[in-house]
Amino acid sequence: MKQRRKLTPYLYSTPAFILIALVIVFPILYTAYISLTNMNLFHWADYEIIGLENYVRALTKVDSGFLSALLVTLLWTVLNMVIQVVAAYFIALGLNREGLKGRRIYKTLLMFPWAMPAYVSILLWRVGIYNTEFGLLNKILVEIGLSKVNFLSTNVPAFLSCMVLNLWMALPFMIMMIDGALQSIDRSYYESAELDGAGFWVKNIHITIPALKGIIAPSVIMTTFTTFKQFDIVYLLTMQKGAYSGATLQTVITYAHQNAFVSNNYGLSSAVSIIIFFLIMVFSVFTNRGVKEESNE
Amino acid sequence: MSKRKVKNRLQLGALHIFYILLCFLSLVPILYALQLSFSGSGGALSSGLSILPQDFTLDNYRRIITEKPFLRWFSNSAVLAALTMVIAIGFAVVAAYAFSRYRFRGRTGILKVLLLLNAFPQILSMFALFRLLKEMHMLDTKLGLVIIYAGSMCIFSIWNMKGYFDTIPTEIEEASKIDGASDFQLLWKIVMPLALPAIIVTAVMVLIFVWNEYLFSTTFLLNENSYTLAGGLYQLQSNDYSRSWSMFAAAAILVSLPVLVIFFCIQKYMVSGLTAGGVKG
Repeated sequence: MKQRRKLTPYLYSTPAFILIALVIVFPILYTAYISLTNMNLFHWADYEIIGLENYVRALTKVDSGFLSALLVTLLWTVLNMVIQVVAAYFIALGLNREGLKGRRIYKTLLMFPWAMPAYVSILLWRVGIYNTEFGLLNKILVEIGLSKVNFLSTNVPAFLSCMVLNLWMALPFMIMMIDGALQSIDRSYYESAELDGAGFWVKNIHITIPALKGIIAPSVIMTTFTTFKQFDIVYLLTMQKGAYSGATLQTVITYAHQNAFVSNNYGLSSAVSIIIFFLIMVFSVFTNRGVKEESNE
Repeated sequence: MSKRKVKNRLQLGALHIFYILLCFLSLVPILYALQLSFSGSGGALSSGLSILPQDFTLDNYRRIITEKPFLRWFSNSAVLAALTMVIAIGFAVVAAYAFSRYRFRGRTGILKVLLLLNAFPQILSMFALFRLLKEMHMLDTKLGLVIIYAGSMCIFSIWNMKGYFDTIPTEIEEASKIDGASDFQLLWKIVMPLALPAIIVTAVMVLIFVWNEYLFSTTFLLNENSYTLAGGLYQLQSNDYSRSWSMFAAAAILVSLPVLVIFFCIQKYMVSGLTAGGVKG
């Protein structure tokens, strides 16, 4: 009887574990195994183990394209996160200004981009906003007498277009999180600061930002991960099956996906996948520790 | 009116203008799609900029439902979402209960490992999953996709529900245990009803995840009869959208509508659920 009670929790978790083993663990192990082989279009069945060659190729050969993709991804993550947090901070701050009526309506309307299915939004933006013939941006350009621009055909405009879309999709979440955190700050701090004659910036730097830091850290970290792993926007805007827009923008994730499903370079793609997983793990262990230390203080 | 009051009024007015503009900007893509979906066939190509649809018509909605297998896509998506929800939540509830109520060897370790595993980007396992399904002869079947979806949402569901189970006091369970209730009765009759809000929110989030997923469903379901909404919409916009662009807009509105309604119903709970488990990717 005692023995049975000891086994109960394992028994309860077994169905979930089988599912996770099949869908999450197996692919990781399989990917790790393939990363050590030369499997590609020509060696589909008769591949052999070649050791760490794929890793060496990804990390040291510039022409493999992985390092530049990594650089683009880091730039993408940093730019997006900085703009997102700063913009969301000021938007949320304004929403919490005393005496502002109708903030609930504003908040609800601002949530819409977050609620839309991501792929629907991206496809709508691709045709409805950026397209040369039907896109709103080009219609506006023509209306004010300028010539049409193909936003997705070269790398820099494509990068910026992806970024605008990402901000559009991700800002609502950040605004909500910061708005929630702002409401948890004790009003009396501001009152005593005002008595001391503190202005807008002083109150922000000395009261609001320090109080917010700990509360919004988890959501900022979470969003950093999603931004780093962002695939849908770049893929659907610039490189759908058979509909390349001309830009050769690659993030690490699209790079791994392209190598597996377009150039059928499975070995290299798997090695890149494992490197990405490793980077994410290191980063998450690092940030987990940071958050814990901050909340212990 | 004092000078201070005037200044306050002006600031508030400026803020209102700012937020009205911001709301308008963030709604433009959606409003544009809405306008096009109600416009006649010439609407998409006309160069004019207007907010109201030119020659208002429901024709696009009629055409997407009658001329395209939209209802089939819709039911495919609904079946996938429902099956995934049942499997993922069914498996995760018992596991979450075990992790919340029992202290067993490896408990905290497993919980941490689950979080790390969750950090592996799903897209990168697509190739391995493709081979796995092929070996199991489940490519192009709903069941194969349901297993993948359920597996990918399992860790999130366990963490989310375990967090809520932890907040339910154990006294009631202990009292019932003394009265001779079995483990299963405890879970079914006491914990589940108490945790119903958390279970519903988690279930709805699984539903939305499947509804919004496009990459796996377009890669693994190759047969046109088994297309989901994502597959159908994808095809609509890639095949000569000059003709079907206003139809695509109508379809996009129809696909988004259920998600929008559900989203605004559970929005309050979503924020706390999302951040409760710490780092999730």
